[in-house]
Amino acid sequence: MNSSTALVRVHELTKTFGATRAVRSVSLSFTEGEIIGLVGENGAGKSTLAKMIAGVYTADSGRIEFAGSEVSFRSPFEALRTGVAMMAQEIMLVPDATVIENVFLGSTPRRGIAPNKSKMRSDFKELLELTKFELDPKAVVSRLRLADQQKVEILRSLSRNAKLIIMDEPSASLTADEVARLHATIRELARRGVTILLISHFLEEVLELTTTTIVMRDGEVVKAGPTKDETIDSLVSGMVGRSLETRYFDNDSAATQQVRFSVEGLTNSALHDISFEIHQGEILGLAGLIGAGRTEIARAIFGADALDSGTVTLEGKKLSVTSPRDAIKQGIYMIPENRKEEGLILEASISENMMLSTLKRYRKAGSLSTRKLGKRAVELAGEVDLRYSKITQSALSLSGGNQQKILFGRAVEVAPKVLIVDEPTRGVDIAAKRAIHETLLDLAKSGMSILFISSEIEEVLGVCDRVLVIHQGKVQVQFTAPFNQKQVVAAFFGQTSGAKHD
Amino acid sequence: MIEKLRSYGIVGVFGLLFVVLAISSPSFLSWQNAANILDQSSILFIMATVLTLCIIAGIFDLSVAATATASAIMTVNAINAFGMVIGIIVGLGFGGVLGLLNGLGIVGTNVNSFIGTLATSFAFRGLGLILCSGGLVSITNKDTAVAMRSAFEGKFLGIKGAVYIALIFSAIVGIFLSRTIWGRNVYAVGGNPQAAYLAGIRTNRILISCYVLSGIGAGIAGVIYVGRYGSGATNAYSDTIAFTAIAAPVVGGVSVFGGSGAIWRGILGILTFALIGNGLNLLGVDTTYQLTALGLLIFAAVAADQVFRRSRG
Repeated sequence: MNSSTALVRVHELTKTFGATRAVRSVSLSFTEGEIIGLVGENGAGKSTLAKMIAGVYTADSGRIEFAGSEVSFRSPFEALRTGVAMMAQEIMLVPDATVIENVFLGSTPRRGIAPNKSKMRSDFKELLELTKFELDPKAVVSRLRLADQQKVEILRSLSRNAKLIIMDEPSASLTADEVARLHATIRELARRGVTILLISHFLEEVLELTTTTIVMRDGEVVKAGPTKDETIDSLVSGMVGRSLETRYFDNDSAATQQVRFSVEGLTNSALHDISFEIHQGEILGLAGLIGAGRTEIARAIFGADALDSGTVTLEGKKLSVTSPRDAIKQGIYMIPENRKEEGLILEASISENMMLSTLKRYRKAGSLSTRKLGKRAVELAGEVDLRYSKITQSALSLSGGNQQKILFGRAVEVAPKVLIVDEPTRGVDIAAKRAIHETLLDLAKSGMSILFISSEIEEVLGVCDRVLVIHQGKVQVQFTAPFNQKQVVAAFFGQTSGAKHD
Repeated sequence: MIEKLRSYGIVGVFGLLFVVLAISSPSFLSWQNAANILDQSSILFIMATVLTLCIIAGIFDLSVAATATASAIMTVNAINAFGMVIGIIVGLGFGGVLGLLNGLGIVGTNVNSFIGTLATSFAFRGLGLILCSGGLVSITNKDTAVAMRSAFEGKFLGIKGAVYIALIFSAIVGIFLSRTIWGRNVYAVGGNPQAAYLAGIRTNRILISCYVLSGIGAGIAGVIYVGRYGSGATNAYSDTIAFTAIAAPVVGGVSVFGGSGAIWRGILGILTFALIGNGLNLLGVDTTYQLTALGLLIFAAVAADQVFRRSRG
C-alpha cells in the first residue's frame, strides 16, 4: 500500500467497552479505489473498528486521517459530510417510511426547505441502474422481505457519494443472483475511485472480490496483505491463531451411553430440520456465527418460539411444549442469553431471584417463609460459588459474573433433566467464567443433560463432549472431543472439508 | 384491513357522531353551535397540534399548560413595560425559550420526556408565580386591554380571532411536517431514532426543535389568554388541558409509538371530544357520563393502536 495515495489511515485505534478491549491499537491504511475485505470470528472487533471510522463510536485513543488531514468524527453526520458512509450489520430503517425516503434519509436532495422529489426519483433510478436491483420506491419498508430491506441499506450507503463506503455483511440475506449484482456494483464503484471496506463472513466472497484482506482476532489485526496471497485455509488459520489443547478441564467426561433427550426435524422460520440428541450427563455445544440460529434452537425447545414441525423427546416420551411454563413442568430449563432483560429481576434479592420458579415450595400457611427461602438460597449460593455479602442484597448490586451465577443457582434449584444455557459467560471476568465452567461440569456430573451455546469457541471446545456447528439455520456438522479448533471454525463459514460427518 | 380500521376508524366514529347529533338535536346543526364549538376548542387546537408533533417525534410534552400559563404572565408584564406588539412577541418568545430549556435539558441528559416535562411543568408553574409575585397580573393600560380583546375575541364571519390564529398555526405546523425535510426527519426520528442517527440525521436537533415549537405553541395559547381576560394568572391553564391535548392525537389515530400520524388527526381528536361534550349537553346527558364516555374512547384508541402494532409484528 503506497502511503502517498492513502485515502484513510488509522493510527493505533483503541476502543474499550467495560472490561472488554474490543479494538486494541489497530493501525491500517486504505488506498483510493481499493476493495478491502475485513474478516474475523465473532467479537474479533471488525464492526467496532468500522464504526469508529464511520463516526458511530468515538475511539478511546488513536487517530484517523482522511485524505491527508486528521479527522475526529463525533457522529455519523460528521463522517458523512466528510465522505464516509457505513451500512451497518443490523438493518436500520425507519419502518413506516417508504423505500425512497429511507434511501435518502439524512441526505435528502433539497429544494429550499422541501425535499426535491424529482431529483430523488432520478437519483433513485440511477442507483437502480447501477446496482440492477429491483425495488419499488413507494413501498413501505416494514412490509418488505429482509433481502429487500438489505437492498435499501445498500442503496443508502451508495447514495451518499462517499469516498469510503463501509459495508458490514451486505450479502447476508441476498440470493446468489443479487449477490452477483452487488459484487458487480462494488467493482464498478472501485473503478470510479471509491474505496470499499467489506466486512464479511463469506470467505469465498472476500477472496473473489477484494484486493486486500485484513484478518482480525481479539481486537488486533493479525495480518493485512494482498488477497491473492490468501486461501480459505490461510484466512481461517489467521482467525483462529494459537492452537489450544482442546479440553482444558482435565477431568473425565460425565457423559453416559444413555440417550436422555432428542429433537427431530425442528423447523420454523429460522430453523431447517434440526435433529440431535443429548445423553445423560453430556454437555452438547452449539457453535456458529451470531445469527446462525443457535439461540432460535434453544427458544424453540423451551417453548418460547413456535415450531412449524418437529418433535422433542425426553426419556422416551414425546413432549408437547407450547410455552416456557410447559417446558419447565416437563423437565427442561433455560438460562437465557440476556441475563439482565430475560433472566433476573434486578431489584429483587438474590434469594428471590434464585427461587423465582419455585416459590411455591416455600409456602407456609399461605405466606412465604423467608427463613426457609434464605436458608436454601445460601446452600445454592455455595453450590454455584456465588460471591455476595448478604443473601437479601439485590441482584443489581452484584457483578455480571455473579448475576449469572444466580441464574445457575436457580437452575440447580429447579433441577431440570435438560438444561439449556445460552451465552452464560458474555461480559464476565475470567474468575467468574472459570466458576461457571466448573458449575456446568458439576451439573453434568450430577446427571443433567446440558445444551451449551456460546460464541466463544475456546470455551465451547473446552467444556463440551460434542459440538454441533450451526450454519444458516441448519446443523452443518458434528464434532466429538477431542476437537480440532481449525476444523470447527472453518465449519462456521460453511466449510466442512476434512470434518467428520456423523 | 386492521390497519385501515385503525387509520380511518376515527373518521367514521366522528362522522357517525355528527350524523346522530344532527338528527337527534335540532339546535346542533346551527351556525351558532358550530361557532361555539370552535371558540371553545381554539386553545386545545394549538396544544393538540404541538403534542401531535411531539408524539410523532416519539416524545411527550406535559409542560404545555404550565408553559402557556407562564407565557401569559410574561406577556402581561412585557405589555405593561413595552407596549402591546413587543409584549406579544416577548410572550411568544418566552414560550419558545421554555421549550428550548425543555429540549436542552431532556435531550442533553437523555431523561424520559414524560417524566422530564412533568418535572419542568412544576418548575414553569413556579416560574409563573415568581413573575407575577402572587396570583394575578393585569394589563394596566385600558386601551391596550381593549385592543388585545378585540384582536383575539373579536369576531370575523361569526368566529373569534383566536380560532383563526389556532387554525393557521395548526396548518403551518401541518404543512411543515408533511412537506419539508425537517418534517420527514421528525417522522424518521420518531419511527426509529437509531436508524435516523446512523443515517446522519442530527436527531438531537430535531427533538429540540420539537420542544421549541411546543413552547411557541404554548406561548400563543398564553397570549390568547391575555387577549381574552386582559390579565395573566397562575391558574390560567390547568394541566387537564395538557392531558386532553395528549389524548386527542391518540384518539385521532396517531400511534403512541411515534413515527406516524398527522396534525389533522390531533385536530380531529379535539373535535371529537367537543362533539361528545356539546352533543351530550344538547341531549341533556349528565356530565358524569360524558367523562366516562371520553375515558373509554381514549382507552379504545390506545388499545386499537397496540393491537395493530402486534398484528404487524
